[in-house]
Order: sequence, then C-alpha cells, then structure tokens
Amino acid sequence: MADIIQLTILGLALGGVFALMGSGLSLVFGVMRVVNLAHPALIIAGAYATYWGWRLLGVDPVLMMPFSAALLAVVGIVIYKVFFEKDAASAKYSDLTVLMAFAVAMIVEGALGGMFTNTQRVTSPSYATEAIFIGEIFIPKGQLIAGIISMTIIGSLGLFLKFSRTGYAIRATTQNREAAELLGVNLRFIALLSFAIGIALAGCAGSLVSFVFNFFPAKHWEWIAIMMSLVVLGGMGSILGTVVGALLLSVLASYVGAAAGATWSTMVFFVALFLVLLVRPQGLFGDKSELAS
Amino acid sequence: MSMTFEDSGAVLEARKQYNAKLAQQADKRRAWWFPIAVMALLMVLPALQLVGNYNYLLHMVLFTASYVAMASSWNILGGFTGYISLGHTVFFAIGGYLAGVLLARYGISSLISAPLVGLVAAGFGYLIGLITLRVRGPSFIISSLALLMIVRILFDNWHFIGGANGMALPVTDLGVLWAKVPYYYAMIAIAALTVICAYKIKHSKFGLGLRAISKDEVKAESAGINTRLYKVLAFAFSAFFIAMAGAVWGEYLTYLRPNIFLIILVAANMMLMCILGGKGTIAGPVIGAILLVAFNEFFVAMMGASELNILGTGAIMAAVLLFFPLGVVGTLAKAGKLPRILNWD
Amino acid sequence: MTALLEVTNLTAGYGDGPAILSGAGVDVQPGKVHCIIGPNGAGKSTLLKAICGMLKIREGEVRFKGEKLNGLRPDQILRKGICFVPQERALFPKMTVLENLRMGGFMLTDDTVVNSRVDEILDRFPILRERATQLAGTMSGGQQQTLAMARTLIIKPDVVMLDEPSLGLAPKIVQEMFDIMRVMADEGITILLVEQNALMGLKHADWGVVLDLGRTLFEGPAQEILTDPRIQELYLGGKKAA
Repeated sequence: MADIIQLTILGLALGGVFALMGSGLSLVFGVMRVVNLAHPALIIAGAYATYWGWRLLGVDPVLMMPFSAALLAVVGIVIYKVFFEKDAASAKYSDLTVLMAFAVAMIVEGALGGMFTNTQRVTSPSYATEAIFIGEIFIPKGQLIAGIISMTIIGSLGLFLKFSRTGYAIRATTQNREAAELLGVNLRFIALLSFAIGIALAGCAGSLVSFVFNFFPAKHWEWIAIMMSLVVLGGMGSILGTVVGALLLSVLASYVGAAAGATWSTMVFFVALFLVLLVRPQGLFGDKSELAS
Repeated sequence: MSMTFEDSGAVLEARKQYNAKLAQQADKRRAWWFPIAVMALLMVLPALQLVGNYNYLLHMVLFTASYVAMASSWNILGGFTGYISLGHTVFFAIGGYLAGVLLARYGISSLISAPLVGLVAAGFGYLIGLITLRVRGPSFIISSLALLMIVRILFDNWHFIGGANGMALPVTDLGVLWAKVPYYYAMIAIAALTVICAYKIKHSKFGLGLRAISKDEVKAESAGINTRLYKVLAFAFSAFFIAMAGAVWGEYLTYLRPNIFLIILVAANMMLMCILGGKGTIAGPVIGAILLVAFNEFFVAMMGASELNILGTGAIMAAVLLFFPLGVVGTLAKAGKLPRILNWD
Repeated sequence: MTALLEVTNLTAGYGDGPAILSGAGVDVQPGKVHCIIGPNGAGKSTLLKAICGMLKIREGEVRFKGEKLNGLRPDQILRKGICFVPQERALFPKMTVLENLRMGGFMLTDDTVVNSRVDEILDRFPILRERATQLAGTMSGGQQQTLAMARTLIIKPDVVMLDEPSLGLAPKIVQEMFDIMRVMADEGITILLVEQNALMGLKHADWGVVLDLGRTLFEGPAQEILTDPRIQELYLGGKKAA
C-alpha cells in the first residue's frame, strides 16, 4: 500500500510538470489550430537559458524562470512573425502548418546542438537532490517544487482565461474563430499573444525541467510524443484536459515503471496516445470537430 | 445600379465558356524519351569501375535512388491521399531488419527476399493503417509519430535483433570495386518500380479515389468510394516500396541499428523531398530526392557536423513551405513553365 | 433616397482561387429588409463576407455612409456599425448564453454598458434569460439562432447581415426567426438577408436582389420580384438558371 501511495505521489509531481509542458501546446493549438511540434524543442531552449544562468551566474533555476519565460516569449514572437503569420490569417488547421512547426523544431534543435553540443545537461540546485520523508514515503523535493510551481502557473493561466477581457477573447477564438473575429476580436493580435504566452509557458517549463530531467537538444523528439499523448487524451485545445491527461498518464507511467522498468514507463504515453486516437479521437474533453480538420 | 434582365443571357454564356475551359485540359504529348535516357545512363554508369574507382559516385546514386523510392512511396499516402505520416521509417526498419534476419540466419540475400519483405511490411502497413487511419489531420500526424516512438522502443529492447546495438550482416565477397554494383542495380530497379507504380496508381480509378479523399473525404465517401479500404491500401502500398528499399539498404550497409533506421530525420526527409519537389506529383519526389541529397552533401561538406545538418534541413523545409508550398514541379506547373521532360503526371 | 451601404462592381474570391464575385453590386437603403437570392454558388454568402471584411476585395468598392470600407478588418468594420451573423450561427459552444452575449459586446470597453445592454436583451428574449447559464452548444437550433441574432443588438448596429438564418430549422421556428428579424427592422436596423429559400426570404423583405455567377442580375421591390414571371421561372420555380 505504501508503495502505491509512493508511486502515486511521484507520478503526480511529475504529472504537474508534464501538465505545464503541455499547456502551452494546448493553448496554441486552441487559438491557432497549429500543432506546434516545436514546443518541446523550445522547452529545451528554456532549459538551456536556465542552465547557463545557473552555471555561469549561480542563479537558482526557479529564479531564472521569469527570465527564461521573457526570453522565450520574444523567441516565440519572432518565430510567429517569421514562420506562422502567413498561415495565421487563413484561420484553418492545415497540414502545411504542422510541417512548418516540424521544420521549426529542427531549426531549434540544430541551433541548440550547434551552440551547446549534444552533451547531457542538468542543473542541480540543492533541493534537486533532497527529499522529504513522511513515514515510509519519500518525496523528492525538486519534483515536488516543480510540480507545485507548475500547477500554480496553470491555475493563474486558467483564471486569466476565465475572467480577463483578453482571456474572453482567447477562449472565444478557440471555440469559434470566425465568430470571434466578427464580434470585434483582432485575431492577428490574439494569435500572436497566445503564441507568445504559449512559448513563455515553454520557457517556464524549461526552467523546471532543467533540474527534473537530464536534457540535450535531441531529447525533444521523445517529449513531443509524450506531450502529444497528454494533450490528445485531454482533448486538443483544452487546458483542463491537458492537466487531467498529464496527471493520469504520469501516475500510470509511474506504476508501470515500477513494475516493468523505466523503458516501459514511457511506453505508457505512446500506447495511451494510440488507444485514445482509436477509441475517442476527440479526447476526454474535446469536441469531435477540433480534430476532424 | 440595377442591371437589365437581358444581361442574364451574357452571364449564362460566360458560365458555358467557363465549363468548356475546365473540360479542355489539353493532354500534352509526353516526353517518354527523357526518363528512358536517364535510366539507360544509370544502367551503364557502373562501367566506370572498369577505368577507375568511382565508388563514391555509385554510392551517391544508390543513396539518391533509395530516397527516390522512399519519397515516391511516401507520396502515395502523403501526396495522393493527403495523410501526412511522420512515422514511415517504421517500414524502412521492418524491411531492413526482416531482410537482415533472413540473410544472417538463412543466407537469403535481400536481392531475392526484397519483394517478400515488402509484402510482409505491406501487411503490417495494412494492419497499422486500420488503426491509425481512423483519424485525420493533426491526429493522424501525431499518431504516426507515436508509432515511430513505440517501434523504436521495441527495437531498442528486442535482443533477438541486437537491441540498441543492432546486428552486423555478412559482407559480400565481391571485391571493393564491384561490391556496390548489385545493390546499385537493385536500388535503381526498386526506385524505378516505385515511380512507375506511383504513376499507374495515380492514373487508375484507385488513384482517383485517393485524390478525392485528399480533397474532401466526406464527399468522397458519399460519392460511393470505400474510403477506409482505399486509405488502408494506400498505406500498405507505401509501406511495400519503403520496406523493399530498407531491405536492400540494410544489406548494403552490412549492419542494422535502430538509430539508423528508426530516426525521425529520415521520416522528415521523406516528407521534405515530396514537398520540395511537389507533393502529389510523380516527378516531384524524384526531383526532391535529388535536391535533398545535393543539399545534404553541401552541408556535410561545408559544415560537417550533424547538428548543423539538422538546422539546414529545417531551414530549407521552412523556406520551401513559406515560399514554394507547391514544390518545384507544382510551382512551375502553376506558372505554366513546367518543362515537358519533367511533366510525368 | 441615398444608400446607406453602397456596393459597386465588387470582385472577390477565396485565397488565390477564382473570383466568386465579379461585378456584384447592391444599394442598401436605411431601415429596409433586403433579401439576396440566387442559385447555389452564385456568390450570396461571398458578398456578405466581402462586405464585412472577411474576404479581400479585389476590385470595386464598399461604401458605408459615404466612407470607403475596402481593406478594413472585420473588427474595424464592426466598429462602423455593420454586424454579420454567418451561416453556422457563430456561437461559442462552450460558453454560456450569458458569456456569449457578453462577447457580443466585446468591442465596447465599458463593462457597465455591456451589462445593462445584456440585461435589456435578456428582458426582450425570455428564452435566453431562462437559459442564461446554459452552454450555448447544448441549445436547440432555433434557440441558438435566436441567441446569434439577439447578440447583434448589444452594439446597436446600423446594419445586420444575416446569412441563411433559416438553415436547418423547422418551418415553425423559421417563422420565429423572420419575426425577430422584422422586429429588428422596425427598430430601424437595416437588414441584409441571404436566403436559399427565395420565396420565404422575399416574402419577409422590402427589397430583393437577384445574384448569379457573381453578378447582380436584377434588383427591385421584393413584391415585384416575387411576381416577375422571368424570375419566377429561373429562380423561384425550382429550376436553376444553369
């Protein structure tokens, strides 16, 4: 029993981080109908920004977060302007846009690899290696902190979307672009803003990821499938769904990992992705129309 | 600004003319001599070995041919049917490994086993297609990526085929000068077969159905096309040719490793070649393959490192998507400037 | 009478595609209900989309109160007072009725104005007040259309363009929609209606416009068009012109 609780807690903490990693992806898909395959590569960019701040200046990874978010937001705006602005106007999902995101992912990976090589990196602030014990159950402090910060950020995002004027516009655009435009929402601005927010979230996630996982430029391919699985399970474009998907799958992966070994725990995400697409392509919270292109 | 009603006669006339223009798509005479001449040239190319060592040249042609086969094959699903797969290297790996096992265990060369291996892969493709082709658009792309990840983990952990370390294959006893030649011919034959089959498919009722699916699947279905069967068959066809290329490629390399056969870069390249040359056209993937290999050589020569190679590939892809989304053939054809020798459609 | 909205010689199409409209024109008189009819693919919806800025105008011009609207974005045109309700009802399915109405006043920056106008609308349409907290996507087709039309009132527009408000609704409900439209017109809102069911549309309109192949063939008082034997044969009798 203690084992189960232990594994559940580990899964939830990791799930919180995955949720943050996926929420930016979900937001961007919701507003722009772009499956941003470059999202995980940008998370890694955020992790590098954090890594160098920690390594060269000794800044704590969590304190690097606002900087990483701001930097990535700027990168996001540039990427949007260069690669996606043309498509953003067309307002429809298109295969070409996914391919464009794929190309951007390769560009980011190549640039990071060219600058920082493919050596595995990790930041190791003191809390990353400490743990809290409650009876027999131990909780790694780093993962706990990362999980809590992630959920806080996602919670703030949720409040922003629910209650602010801009949040209304973003939600409206997600649900019906044409209608939002006809009611006076400036779609180009909302698309740019959402993209910048989404990529800033990647920057935040990158800071947390820097002490939770080892990372190197090519690692994002593994993450893209993991993130897709939770975003698809939750229903593309639904941030609440992404969170639920992330927590569910991470806990499951944690059980499988304990039972069958770490290699097979990642399998959980990929197999889940397959099964969800098979049984309920629109995900737990999504509309059928959103994925039927 | 009310118009007189008599104008409607003129409007009707205009509509008639518009319809006539659509019907009158002139069937240009084909330049059959061009592909035949290219093939003939490629057939006699190995004779160069009689006068010197042109192994590098042969390797480049063989490599390009393998890419032509893969791109043309991918095009059947991605170009004609409109289902973008980022996981087609799975079939490349199935082909390579199956032929490799047959060679290592039973001594059967891939030159003989390739068609059989292709059929097995097509069977896999059929089954996988039954599952993944239930979804469209982004879901399909994502599922193809997941497929690649799943198969990669399986291959990395499957000890019978050497796991992540891979397996070595017996080396041919032909001398250095002639070792490449059988694979050279085999790969060119596979590439040519793929292009010809792609042409046949495009001009068949089946191909028409596929193109209808890519335009509007719901309408295609209501027009009486068995879209499910058509899509899955397209998937199987594309798996078949890619696996054949994989079979020969593995034996040619003399070793099999998951990180050669199951990397996303190769899958990306298949797609990139089609888009570069012109998705859905016959000549497009061929031109795309030649351009991509040329680019690759250029990057490797200029910068060496593989990471910058990825950057370069991504940058080219983005540039093509931004400025020539129709690819070389598509862009030229739209401008009415496609040379007759490249009009293979 | 000077036209409120003047569309002259309009050419427009989707993306790089062929022109759907080629030389369409319409004069919209203030306070009247205008019904555009024509066969499938004639360019009726395209005309509305071009006016409201969703499509790029290639040639010709759209003038509103004498001011040129060419090249403005939909949100800018909305600010001028032209509101468009597209075919698919254009609601936010996962927002409540109330939130949908609030979104209707998105371009108004003063929250108190929005709230008071939303309240007015809820008073006028009891069915909407009854369902204020229901998700819009879960309502019936008629209720959704009511919401979509009612929502335009929040910004008190000069012109409301309706694209097939009757689409997919039962005949009895269709009548209700036309009643709402008539009420809006009586309040002085100018209506530009596109209707596939030409007979029905013209019966509820003051002015009729016949569009085919992207051009305006004919326009005149709705009654005259209804009784014109040539138009009856081509566009009202079920036989298509092409």
